[in-house]
Amino acid sequence: MNDWRNVLIAVDDTPTSENALKYAADILGKLPAARICLLHIYPEPPPGYYSSGKSRDDYIREKEEKAAVFIHRAEDILEQTGLDRSSIITMFHMADHATISQAILDIQTAEKYGTIIVGKRGVSKAEEFLFGSISSALVHHSKDCTVWVVG
Amino acid sequence: MAPTLDALPPEIRERLREHRVTRSLRRTSRLFFDTTDFTSIDYGDIIFIDDCYYLVTGYTKEGRFGVDDQAKPWVPRVQDLATGKKQILKLVFHETFDITMGQFTISYYRNPEKEARVLELVQGLPHFMQGRAVLDEAGNLVRILDIINGRRLDKFIYRNNTDHEEYFHQEFPFILKQFLECIEAISLLHHNGFRHGDIRRDHIFVERETNVFCWIDFDYDYYMPERPFAVDLYELGNLLMYLTVRENFHPREIMADPGMGEKVLNTIEPGDYALLSKNRVVNLQKLFPYIPTELNNIFLHFSLGTNVFYDTADELHDDLQGALEKLG
Repeated sequence: MNDWRNVLIAVDDTPTSENALKYAADILGKLPAARICLLHIYPEPPPGYYSSGKSRDDYIREKEEKAAVFIHRAEDILEQTGLDRSSIITMFHMADHATISQAILDIQTAEKYGTIIVGKRGVSKAEEFLFGSISSALVHHSKDCTVWVVG
Repeated sequence: MAPTLDALPPEIRERLREHRVTRSLRRTSRLFFDTTDFTSIDYGDIIFIDDCYYLVTGYTKEGRFGVDDQAKPWVPRVQDLATGKKQILKLVFHETFDITMGQFTISYYRNPEKEARVLELVQGLPHFMQGRAVLDEAGNLVRILDIINGRRLDKFIYRNNTDHEEYFHQEFPFILKQFLECIEAISLLHHNGFRHGDIRRDHIFVERETNVFCWIDFDYDYYMPERPFAVDLYELGNLLMYLTVRENFHPREIMADPGMGEKVLNTIEPGDYALLSKNRVVNLQKLFPYIPTELNNIFLHFSLGTNVFYDTADELHDDLQGALEKLG
């Protein structure tokens, strides 16, 4: 089991993600030794993206410019609870030939994070079957770590 | 403007002149090197691709958007004028459209490159249509497909005019065995990162001599990054249920069946309906009590009442293998 104080927080620009972050910040702010990674994973370009004349680099730039805004806001939220900014790192990644949940778990495994924190959207059964639930996939497939799913 | 037939080698010109299609044609055939505007290519025209002269002898047909047997002008039936071999060409057609599944809409598109890559992957494998992809003069990725000598699976299961109970006990075990191999074939695609994309009852052909089931049509694709194979899995479930009972059962079909009627309909609970198809009953054991529980439990994974979904074709395959063993 990896050290649970090494915490990976998967974020996006949804209210549920921000709720999860605030909940996590409340707890993590009280832990002096926490090492935190704010991670944003985005999917591969949709069909037709390249035929519009844009490149993979364009797509990555667009995605990461948008992500920088809410990642910066997330850093502020964590800092406001007393966490030292030097204990927070940020990462952006495209889920290349992988689902978003797989990409999160790949980073968790490679960097030995002991805790994953993620928001829960609350989807119907049919929606979960068809479009998936990142939180459910993380709970089902994670190893050597604890997953906090914040509803 | 299409090049004239003067460009044809003499032996090809001779075969063209003698061909039944040309003899019945009231105009001169045209020669196409570029298939971009496939709607301008007509019956009796010739498509030159990969050093072969393909005479258009007809068009494939398919039910589309609720209309039966619509001709597909981008999928001509052809004959190689040099060898006489009959094949099917699939020309590039960039089409996008929305499909409704339950309350959700999924955007589909045709992906010629995916189909080309699948054809390459499944070369020589018995449960897939065979073919190859080549570029025409304008760089269009044309797929040259072998014709399967057989019939659609949904016609095949009715070939003996048996009633359901006889079909289920006498014919279904063989069909299920073949279908299991079809699921393995889909699993192979998934393990290689490909979706079939258009799993449906008329996209399996049954070869006439061997009765081997064979998947066709791999060019549909969709964008579902978190559950890339969910639609394939759902459609495999639908197809399994269709093969089991040979039709779809909604309340109106149950009421119309003299052996079922209101008595059976009253036993149907909300969780017995399909997860993504409105009012279609998937708890089929309530309709056909001789369906074994092991098989019915597989159906229930596609119901509104399920708490556990199939994540992979392998999981479905393994459960079905167990159910087949129970069928004997």
